[in-house]
Amino acid sequence: MIRLIVKRLLIGVLVMWGAASVIFLIVRVAPGDPASIMLGPDADSEQIADLTARLGLDKPMYVQYLSYLGDVVRLDFGDSYRLGTAAMPTVLERLSATAELMLASTAIAVIVGLTLGLLAGARPGSITDRVVSAISIALQSFPTFWVGIMLILIFAQALRILPSAGAGSPLHLILPAVTLALPFTAVVARLTRTNVAETMREAYIQTARSKGLSERQVLLGHALRNSLIPVVTVVGLHMGGLMGGAVVVENVFAWPGTGSLIVDAVSNRDYGLVQAATFLIAGIVMVFNLVTDLVYSQLDPRIRLDGAS
Amino acid sequence: MTATLEKSPAKAGPTARKRPGRRWTRWIPYAILALYALTGGIGPLLIDYNPVYTSLPDRLLAPGSPVSSGATAWLGTDGTGRDVLAQVVYGARTSVLIGLATVVVSCVVGVAIGTLAGYFRGWPDMILARGIDILLAFPAILLTIVIAGAFERSVLVVVVALSATAWISFARVTRGVALSIRERAWVDAARVLGVRPLAILWRHVVPFTAGPVVALATLEFALVVLAEAGLSFLGIGLPNSAVSWGQTIANGKQYLATAWWISAIPGVALSLLIITIGILGDQLTARYGRGHVR
Amino acid sequence: MTRYRALRRTALAALAASLALTACSTTSGGSSGGGRDITVAGTYSIESLDPASPSGGGATGTQLTSKALFSRLVRPKADGTLEGDLATEWTPDTTATQWTFKLRTGVKFSDGSEVTADDVVASFQRFIDLKSTNAANFTGYTMTASSPAEVVLKATKPDAAIPYKLAVFFVMPKRVQGEDKEFFQHPVGSGPFKLEKFDSAGTVVFTPNSGYYAGAPKVTKVTIKKMPELAARLTALKTGEADLIWGIPDDQLPQLQSDANLTVQTVPSTAVFTMWFNSSIPALKDAAVRRALWQAVDFATIIKTLYPQTGTLSDAPVSPVTLGYSPQEAQKYDPAAAKAALQAAGFDFSKKLRLQFANAEFRQFNQAVVSDLAKIGVQVDLLEKEQAVFTKDLLAMNWDVNFQQLSNPTFDGANTLGRLYTCAAKRNGYCNPELDKLLAAAGASPDKNERVRLYGEASKIIWSDAVGMFPMAVKFAYAWNKNLTGVVPDPNGLPDFSTIGVSGS
Repeated sequence: MIRLIVKRLLIGVLVMWGAASVIFLIVRVAPGDPASIMLGPDADSEQIADLTARLGLDKPMYVQYLSYLGDVVRLDFGDSYRLGTAAMPTVLERLSATAELMLASTAIAVIVGLTLGLLAGARPGSITDRVVSAISIALQSFPTFWVGIMLILIFAQALRILPSAGAGSPLHLILPAVTLALPFTAVVARLTRTNVAETMREAYIQTARSKGLSERQVLLGHALRNSLIPVVTVVGLHMGGLMGGAVVVENVFAWPGTGSLIVDAVSNRDYGLVQAATFLIAGIVMVFNLVTDLVYSQLDPRIRLDGAS
Repeated sequence: MTATLEKSPAKAGPTARKRPGRRWTRWIPYAILALYALTGGIGPLLIDYNPVYTSLPDRLLAPGSPVSSGATAWLGTDGTGRDVLAQVVYGARTSVLIGLATVVVSCVVGVAIGTLAGYFRGWPDMILARGIDILLAFPAILLTIVIAGAFERSVLVVVVALSATAWISFARVTRGVALSIRERAWVDAARVLGVRPLAILWRHVVPFTAGPVVALATLEFALVVLAEAGLSFLGIGLPNSAVSWGQTIANGKQYLATAWWISAIPGVALSLLIITIGILGDQLTARYGRGHVR
Repeated sequence: MTRYRALRRTALAALAASLALTACSTTSGGSSGGGRDITVAGTYSIESLDPASPSGGGATGTQLTSKALFSRLVRPKADGTLEGDLATEWTPDTTATQWTFKLRTGVKFSDGSEVTADDVVASFQRFIDLKSTNAANFTGYTMTASSPAEVVLKATKPDAAIPYKLAVFFVMPKRVQGEDKEFFQHPVGSGPFKLEKFDSAGTVVFTPNSGYYAGAPKVTKVTIKKMPELAARLTALKTGEADLIWGIPDDQLPQLQSDANLTVQTVPSTAVFTMWFNSSIPALKDAAVRRALWQAVDFATIIKTLYPQTGTLSDAPVSPVTLGYSPQEAQKYDPAAAKAALQAAGFDFSKKLRLQFANAEFRQFNQAVVSDLAKIGVQVDLLEKEQAVFTKDLLAMNWDVNFQQLSNPTFDGANTLGRLYTCAAKRNGYCNPELDKLLAAAGASPDKNERVRLYGEASKIIWSDAVGMFPMAVKFAYAWNKNLTGVVPDPNGLPDFSTIGVSGS
């Protein structure tokens, strides 16, 4: 186990180097340069050249790359060009907002999704099953930004019971968290349904029933436990994915998370900030994946971790 | 999970199939898809629309209003007086084409890489695994946004940005299939007979990936169409000259309270298509199994 | 059946648990609101508080915060005339090369120390050294303290626009040197407000500077929240989460105007929709071609339908509130004449022109322009570019027609006409020595009326040679909660929060 974790971590270092390089390349290949956007349309070419030199962006690409790698090894991510602050602390500042959103939406999705999945999976083909299937397909199909704006119109504008945008109080969390949770609820529900339905046909469930366990005990004791395994996997992947992937929702609700930070940073060609943010997120995603695999193997002893893939 | 999949159908086939009345409903998704294909394929021939031409006196008209040219805007007009119906019809074509292009690109790339890695194992597999790890280190949408946001808006950039992560699922699935197929007797036989590896791959391995790949392709198609709309919403999607649902929805977002039809109608068209594909994907997955992810 | 019921109970219990989870997060919070706290839903992102830094210098968001935190020597009022801020008097020498500013006495920074001539001089030196775009207005200029209460600004050539240009120069303590990031975490200024909070998400919180020389602001707190989505800003205003928003598009004004709790006002701004032609390319070299293109677009109708409340057909290259404004003869919409003129000039209808612009809010306007041009057979590729790419292409002249909303925070024609239309500026490929001469003379003349006359002549050349199309003068729309008092809509979209009060509390 320890050896495995060490091996995964070593691979992780390799992956982080790759991720850092991919982003370094993409942002620099992209047209538009930081100096001209910092100075604005009023600038003349002399000012732009001057600022480019001050930012160190006039050096050859490989020099920039090597010094960037050197800095990364020392965990120094430089400054955000535009904000003038150190890049990594700025990203970390935003991370808590994203984490809040991630946890809230995941909690909603898991609880509601498991419930719906259990209901549907216990009696495949029943009315409940079909209703749940229909709901989950629909939830997965509506564009997120669309749902978000609709929720604003309903709950903030028409009913006036929830704030429309921004962060600050737990009330602000509800709409973005629900918007983000909806499609994932559907994923959890469908996954749970399939697994519960399959498990309920297994011989050991019949055994449990014949031993006189109540349906509730069978369901919670056996079926649910088994269905948790795939759910843990998707939850892990999903939580990692939300670290920078809640962009659209963050945009709609003006949620000050990492996703909107990255979108702004990309459009401002704020190389330092893009690099710091993506590096951090890549690291977090990697840890999530590792933990997911470990939990997975604990839940289901049949699965042994295969280091190669 | 794989084990249960293999033995369960015999014992308890899908309940739906037992009901005689439900059999024809299986074709509904195909019928809807055909309708979309017809609309996207033939609609543009019947309805004349050029996104360049605006008609300001007709802007923000409600569905069913007469326009200055004497015609009727059955689905209303947008902020520059262009017909929403025409945008839905032309948008169907764009969205479907973008979806297809992305799925085809990522499918070809994914299947090629996946089968090679799964069949040859060793260092190709190693490179694939690490490459996937690197790409998966970012949330898929993030990489898409960085690519799409960094380059000038064009159809090509959108397809590339969406394919950048979409091929991964194809590669993983086909790799799994290839891994199991390469151990089969007939593959061994072919190897012993001296058939060249690429020919073996093409004749004996790739065909077996078709089922899961088709199932996956439908789901990916839905995701891609949704993602394109999301990119357009963020303002980093298709160029203005392209008519797509994402564009129209994004254009109408500031009118949600006053002229709901601009966003609502393409939104419904989009959601219906995604729902249909979702159902279809489920059916295909149920039939072909979902392949071996690991 | 009993089996199923048990199952349903389980499910309901789980559902209830999830609801409880959501519920407990709702009850614990609740936004508090003191009686005289106001919240502003910001239109621009605020990324830097340093008005002298390269990124802050060109940013509207930074100008907004600087107005609250720092003082200037002189500042423009909403009607474009000047008033003294730190300076009480300013006088040029006979050639307008050297300007003397008498400083207000007894003004203190928010940390209690006095504002002296040394602070002003040091701030000016820092402003020049950091080389922002604003500093380019003062290249080679020097400032010295002639006494503790007087500074002298020496220009390299006669410059009558100096007091106006100083609208972008802010004074801070002399200890601030270079790009002092520490200082701007907790900036100290002599403006009406102090900074309480500034984060990377663009949220800024101000509290009154009790020692402000003109009296502390009446509000107890100003919170600027960044809300990129228009729908969210409007909703926030209607629900009372925000008290003041501005930069509202025309299409959204009626729904705010019909709201009895809101006041809506528009103010003529310094901004003009400016659509330069690239006169350096063969297709657009001929002024007759450029004029014909202008003539082919029905700007009056476009403005009437898209901007009924916030736009007026422009009659000069600069807006009416700018010094140097001089109305010109309107370009008549006549597509037939335009087409004939293009044919006569040998215009190549098969080649596409590239029209670039950068902001989604201008999309409909530009689409309408392209549509009108298409009607006479002129093909235009409409390119909506990202800001980063737009700026780069703008300077590289990588466009045929360029759309920009040009604002002028200085209210002086020197900053737009004098800066952008000379041969040396190389902004639009147009070069006319006669125009250069007029602009130089207008910039140097100490007599205000003479300057207006000279800028008027320059405008006439720019207008009739169609260096660009100048379709629309922009008004900014402001909307605020009725219980706010003293809101003065600002022509540059930079409202002054210090005059605002809250009634009924």
